[in-house]
Amino acid sequence: MKNKLIILATIMAAPVLATATTPISGSVASKCVVVTDTDGVYGNPSATKLSTSASDGGVLPIIRYDIITASAYNARITTPISFTSSPSLEGDVVNWTGSTVANQMSDASMSAFNTDKIVYNNTSEFPLSVAGSVWFDVSSEATYGYNKAFPAGSYSAVVTAECIAQ
Amino acid sequence: MRLLIILALVLNGGYASAHQWTPTYPKLKPSHIVGVYTTKMELFNARREISYYSVGVFDKDWKKVPFASTPSLLKVGYLDKRIVEVYLHKNHKNKAHYICSKSKILSSVRDPSIIASRICSKIK
Repeated sequence: MKNKLIILATIMAAPVLATATTPISGSVASKCVVVTDTDGVYGNPSATKLSTSASDGGVLPIIRYDIITASAYNARITTPISFTSSPSLEGDVVNWTGSTVANQMSDASMSAFNTDKIVYNNTSEFPLSVAGSVWFDVSSEATYGYNKAFPAGSYSAVVTAECIAQ
Repeated sequence: MRLLIILALVLNGGYASAHQWTPTYPKLKPSHIVGVYTTKMELFNARREISYYSVGVFDKDWKKVPFASTPSLLKVGYLDKRIVEVYLHKNHKNKAHYICSKSKILSSVRDPSIIASRICSKIK
């Protein structure tokens, strides 16, 4: 009887004896992550216009910012004012327009990004005052001279997405 | 159909295309060379289409500040991490405000619209 009790006590104690504590430590550092969600495509709705707008047959470039700590960074997005590659455009000037809007967000309070936006030249600056993820839609449009047709060929332009520590 | 949507979500979930540059607020410390200060930065490349990044140091008005780095143009593979040591002369220590990394796009890339990313940390 005594032996059976000892065996039973040993079996019951086994899981208790087997447990060990393993600490996991970690830290969350402030950082800004720039994610290129969707590469843009210029649509060519007419011979005189290139546009990333969906209604013009283009695709809007979408850039996601992951904000770990609120109010640590400003997002700065610059729309193109020149082509990085194109056929020869020496005949006339290219007129550029562009804009950036925070479209999707992980926190409703991020809508403040659009109201606090500062626009200068072809750059939009957003103070990233709320932590989370935000998706910026960038639109870009180019017209050539006055109602002049773009020469045939392929065109590329660069959108610059920046994260500047505050 | 539902299975296809789940499969698409799972496959897309694994795709990342990000640029990371840490720490946010680096501190300059005296290096092993007298009169030269240094700090270590970490670059993480999760942009499949980008292999090169440049490093730059700027003052508060975004004017370039002379610096030395190992090297200033980095080849960083996809999902690779690089430690970058930035060295500044003591004369430029108080002038330097930002340390930035910028993705470099090869001239051979002919995408219709390319996104360049730049992240700037602020020296404390």
